[in-house]
Amino acid sequence: MTERRSGHVILGINALVLGYLPASWQSPELTPGSFVDPAYWENIGRTAERGTLDAVFLADIPALGDPAHDANPAHMEPTVNWSYVAGVTDRLGVVATASTTFNDPFDLAERWLSFDHVTRGRAAWNIVTSRGAAPARNFGFGDVPPRDDRYDRAAEFVDVVRALWDSAVTGDRVHHRGEYFEIDGRLSVPPFADSAPVLFQAGGSAKGRELAARVADGVFAAELTRDQAVEHYRQVKRRAVEHGRSPDSVKIVPGLLTTIGSTEEEARRRNDDLHDRGPASYSIEWLSQSMGIDAGKLDLDAPFPEEVLAAPDDLQTFTGSVGFRESIVAQIRRTNPTVREYLKQTRYTGSGHAGFVGTPEQLADRIEDWFHAGAVDGFNLQPDVLVDGLQVIVDEVVPILRKRGLYRHEYETDTLRGHFEAAAASAPLW
Amino acid sequence: MSIPFLSLALDGPQLVELLADDAAIRRWDELPSAFSVLGVERVDGSGAREATVDASVAAAILAGRTTRARFLVAASPTRDHPYNLARRVASLGHLSRGRSGVIFGDHDPYAPAGDPWTTTDVGFTRGEQIADALCAVRALEQSWPYESVVGDLETGIFVQSNLIRHVDHDGLHRTAGPLTVPEPPTGASVTAWLATDRVPAIPGDETDLVIGAGGAVRIVDADAAEAWSGEASDGGGLLLRGRPGSTLAELLDAAESLAGRTRPVGDGPLRQVLDLSVPSRPAVGRAAFPQPQPHAVL
Repeated sequence: MTERRSGHVILGINALVLGYLPASWQSPELTPGSFVDPAYWENIGRTAERGTLDAVFLADIPALGDPAHDANPAHMEPTVNWSYVAGVTDRLGVVATASTTFNDPFDLAERWLSFDHVTRGRAAWNIVTSRGAAPARNFGFGDVPPRDDRYDRAAEFVDVVRALWDSAVTGDRVHHRGEYFEIDGRLSVPPFADSAPVLFQAGGSAKGRELAARVADGVFAAELTRDQAVEHYRQVKRRAVEHGRSPDSVKIVPGLLTTIGSTEEEARRRNDDLHDRGPASYSIEWLSQSMGIDAGKLDLDAPFPEEVLAAPDDLQTFTGSVGFRESIVAQIRRTNPTVREYLKQTRYTGSGHAGFVGTPEQLADRIEDWFHAGAVDGFNLQPDVLVDGLQVIVDEVVPILRKRGLYRHEYETDTLRGHFEAAAASAPLW
Repeated sequence: MSIPFLSLALDGPQLVELLADDAAIRRWDELPSAFSVLGVERVDGSGAREATVDASVAAAILAGRTTRARFLVAASPTRDHPYNLARRVASLGHLSRGRSGVIFGDHDPYAPAGDPWTTTDVGFTRGEQIADALCAVRALEQSWPYESVVGDLETGIFVQSNLIRHVDHDGLHRTAGPLTVPEPPTGASVTAWLATDRVPAIPGDETDLVIGAGGAVRIVDADAAEAWSGEASDGGGLLLRGRPGSTLAELLDAAESLAGRTRPVGDGPLRQVLDLSVPSRPAVGRAAFPQPQPHAVL
């Protein structure tokens, strides 16, 4: 029996450009150029704001994956993309991802404080460390540094950025001499309301969670099962308390892939249809990247070999995502499916991020259940096809949550930090 | 001698004022000017002001709030890697429907010393660094041809991605490319160089417009604008700049009083109103991706 929480959930939308499924570009509501069309982005921003949503997210990696069958790798630069959307909205929060490996801390601090200034307190930085050789080559490196180095650099990077944001309020210069950076300077950007951008952390490694507990206002987590989500929720918030922070100050907002239909069967048909119209190699490639293996070499009709499920020997050189891998392995161990069964099953249950396929009522149930179970403070919903998936969330899911007292009817706050502070208090941690 | 077009230089405090004032944005949007430089003090050597904002995010929000205004975003290739800069420039090109460009010049007075991204310890001049960044940004912006985005429902092919090229730029900055954004449909963004005695422009194919010393656009200070006699170089323009400490209202007043004596420009992309041809794409470069195949079902 779970304890009922009062207050409202946080609802974000992870845009993933046109939607999380590769076939999203085939929607009759889109043209080939929609992904870079200002009218498309204006519509997304205005629709999200009509639903009084807390924020829109853009994931990012500074390198182009092959866009042959999928618009998802085709990212505009997130601060510019969202500043444009902020220009046509008033209250919607805007979360832009940037890498601590492929930026300079002074440059990033100045840009994000500007981003927060021009959006009047609606901006957030989603901190990632980035992996893979392709972005490294775009910045003149042969390959990215090993994982621990990346996180050590990230920790110092974030501290420098926060010190620089403080410098804009106090006017005091920052004199930083660290392992990775030497910075002497201060920012001349006027901070909006003497505040700073909201900080998000994405990534499920131990060092990532530690960074989140220490500094993040929000965690964009990857959770496939409710029990594991409850465990991670408590882990991060308890650690935040050990850092002298309130558990309310760090919001846990996992991703949730959504396909919504007016019946469950209709939703499944939509999901199957979208998968069938996308490239088959998509799920195999995705699995390969997330688990750091070549999934194309696996026997599709045999269960996963134990050596694939066993923890990687060396996390330092592991090329996948620690958080995604952990949640995928937990999911596989529960039912021991064949590779083909798993790939088909993930159509409905998600992979890496959890998946949902069903009706608006069922999605509201899912949100309510995880919220009251103390697994989340809200969700970052990732529609299959953004242009109509977002519309259904706004017009059909949000009204149900409002009726249940789980969501606001109008914006009551103006800034992203304000939206977070107005959301429900933390679930019990012990 | 032809009548020059009008353009404006907004420094940090004026840009901050503009962003906070919807009426001023409307007034600015209605000016018959060719473009405005956003954050001019970052490139003209006039020194830091008491307030500033990053010009690219300012331009992006202004693109959403205006329909006519065009802008050159002040940029500095020291702490900002050309790959990150090129992404913002190309993204702005799309979102503004070609109303934007980028301008380089003297050292950014706000940035602490240091060149975290350059590939050499051997000394180089500011001009050499700008020329290299211009080259990299232009190549990156052209690395993904817009016409390769086909969206073919029959084959399931969204982009003819075999037409996308690496840039393999290996100069003071190094970047492999391609960019994550296609070239704007209006062509690669306009690139400008604010030339000063300290940082004279280095001629090159990647520079569309030189402002200041020896360039097609002359800088006129706002307090001298009344006395301006109407002379200008052929086909060029005027960049109206307030003195440090002058307000946005003063700058807009001066611009409006000059407007009758300058050549009005109509609506449209920056490249078009400046009568600059779309730069051709280099034919060389490694293909970034194989020829896409029609997809098969799992």
